[in-house]
Amino acid sequence: MLKLLQNEWMKLWNKKGTWVMFILLILAVFAVAGIYKWVDHLETENWKTVEQQSIKEQQQSIDAGGLTKEELKDAKDSIQISNYRLKNNEPPIETDSAEAYLDNGSFLLALISLFGTIIGASIVSNEFSAGTIKMLLTRPISRAKILTSKLLTVFIFVILMAVLSWVLNFIMGIILYGFASGTDLVMEGNKIVESSPITHSLYMYLLSMGEIFMSVIFAFMIGSIFRSSSLAIGLTLFINFMGSSLVVFLSKYEFVKYLWIANTDLTQFESDYSIVEGLTMPFSLTILAVYAVIFLVASFVTFIKRDVTA
Amino acid sequence: MKPIVELKHLSKTIKGKEIIKDLNLELFPGQITGFLGPNGAGKTTTIRLMTGLMKPTSGEVLIDGISLKENFEEAISKVGVIVENPEMYKYMSGYKNLLHFARMHKNVSKERIAEVVRLVGLEKRINEKVSTYSLGMRQRLGLAQALLHHPQFLILDEPTNGLDPAGIREFREHLRTIAQKERVSIFISSHLLAEIELICDRIAVIKNGQLIDIREMTVEQQSTYYIEVGQPCEPLLKEQNYLFEKFSKGYLVSIEREDVPKLITNLTTAGIDLFAVQPHHQSLEDQFLELTGGGQIAQTSAK
Repeated sequence: MLKLLQNEWMKLWNKKGTWVMFILLILAVFAVAGIYKWVDHLETENWKTVEQQSIKEQQQSIDAGGLTKEELKDAKDSIQISNYRLKNNEPPIETDSAEAYLDNGSFLLALISLFGTIIGASIVSNEFSAGTIKMLLTRPISRAKILTSKLLTVFIFVILMAVLSWVLNFIMGIILYGFASGTDLVMEGNKIVESSPITHSLYMYLLSMGEIFMSVIFAFMIGSIFRSSSLAIGLTLFINFMGSSLVVFLSKYEFVKYLWIANTDLTQFESDYSIVEGLTMPFSLTILAVYAVIFLVASFVTFIKRDVTA
Repeated sequence: MKPIVELKHLSKTIKGKEIIKDLNLELFPGQITGFLGPNGAGKTTTIRLMTGLMKPTSGEVLIDGISLKENFEEAISKVGVIVENPEMYKYMSGYKNLLHFARMHKNVSKERIAEVVRLVGLEKRINEKVSTYSLGMRQRLGLAQALLHHPQFLILDEPTNGLDPAGIREFREHLRTIAQKERVSIFISSHLLAEIELICDRIAVIKNGQLIDIREMTVEQQSTYYIEVGQPCEPLLKEQNYLFEKFSKGYLVSIEREDVPKLITNLTTAGIDLFAVQPHHQSLEDQFLELTGGGQIAQTSAK
């Protein structure tokens, strides 16, 4: 299996397209940093004034009423944290610090999702369109192993890109802004605790991987079933773009939460904002796992059963 | 002799069309077998069934006694394949292509790769990208990848396509050497009948998915002479018990060399004008056309 992975890896990096993606990602890291620095709104406001302002606003919305139970809790937590900061002279993380900058990785993740989709869609279908599939399948290796090695190669590629972009992004943050002097505070139960912005950022990256992996698996399935990389790329991107609108459109129906596109955005559980009600992290993970298994079974069965005529 | 490859009652139906019908064939070590048939006869399908690219509807393929269906990995490890044009990874060098395929077999060393490269004469260009190769060089690379793992059975589909005359001769000699020295059984499908004639010990002819003839090429043909005459002379030939048929401006007479002068004397004494007497060699092409009845593509049986 290791040799098969070696093969796929060699083929991947001998293609110009892969290097173009790699370089584009690095350029994107610099571009994001440049734009961010350029439009930088250097808030010179005193953090204490900001916190006091925040307390006032939150109190107003509580007084106005009409908040849901969760919103009420959030507002109260926010006031509690602000009070704690003022009392203990504990400033928040500055917007111009490497730690705060890390939250701007989402554009890079979209790019990685796109690249992963392209590679996932083409890694099988290109063998068919180039006719090399005949050479690949007349070897003493089962078709299942060959397909597995291809799938793993795409996963490794995506993970590598994600790690690389995170590290580069962090380095850019440090170069541009340096480390923060403030702290991040969250409510855990009834206690105020310090949280690490770096861990938080890594966690968000990990959650975003859910969406990326689903795109990759979906593209991989379409690519290996229909042997057309353009169809696979097009369809996956279409679903990614239109998926959320579709979910909004259908959100009043119960069945929508059983669609994988309603569950791909795992970060929605961190930001407390979800389109479809009644979704929880374990529920979404289960739905995603079920769909991933279905997609993979579909691609493996067709690949193994297929009469190769290319 | 024990056959290395056996096709047993092989049938393949695609979308209701019976492409291959109950095909039986045995191939022996050290023997080069040509595989002929008109377009659409089922040559490529047969080869795909033999390499596991397609699965038979019924029947089975045995390689060295191992069923391709039941134990694919072990059976196919004895086979070297070039199906149609050898499609390589064009964006990689020839060497990387070979390395890629070598990794998929057990026990193919770096030395073996170098040896195969030398054998097909690609040493000078092996580190260049395949996209810069000519068709002939790709064919050589195709042969190299098929030989990497010392196969006992080599399947070649249109192998000399794109080779220059010198290349074809060289290729032919390679195959002869491999067949004789390493006792490899070789199965070649080709349209180039003259090529097949030169290289093969045996030919198998397929038509409409059925094997219609297997013949040894080493068997001497019945000697035949062509005579060109000025007047019809069937009664005379019939009278003297010659086997003959009308051909071009005269007749083809089945006759041994030593009996030719007598025939000439007989004809001239009968007052028949004789313009030419020459040995007639029926080429494989004639035999092929005779067997397959011209180049009509078989009607699909789906209707």
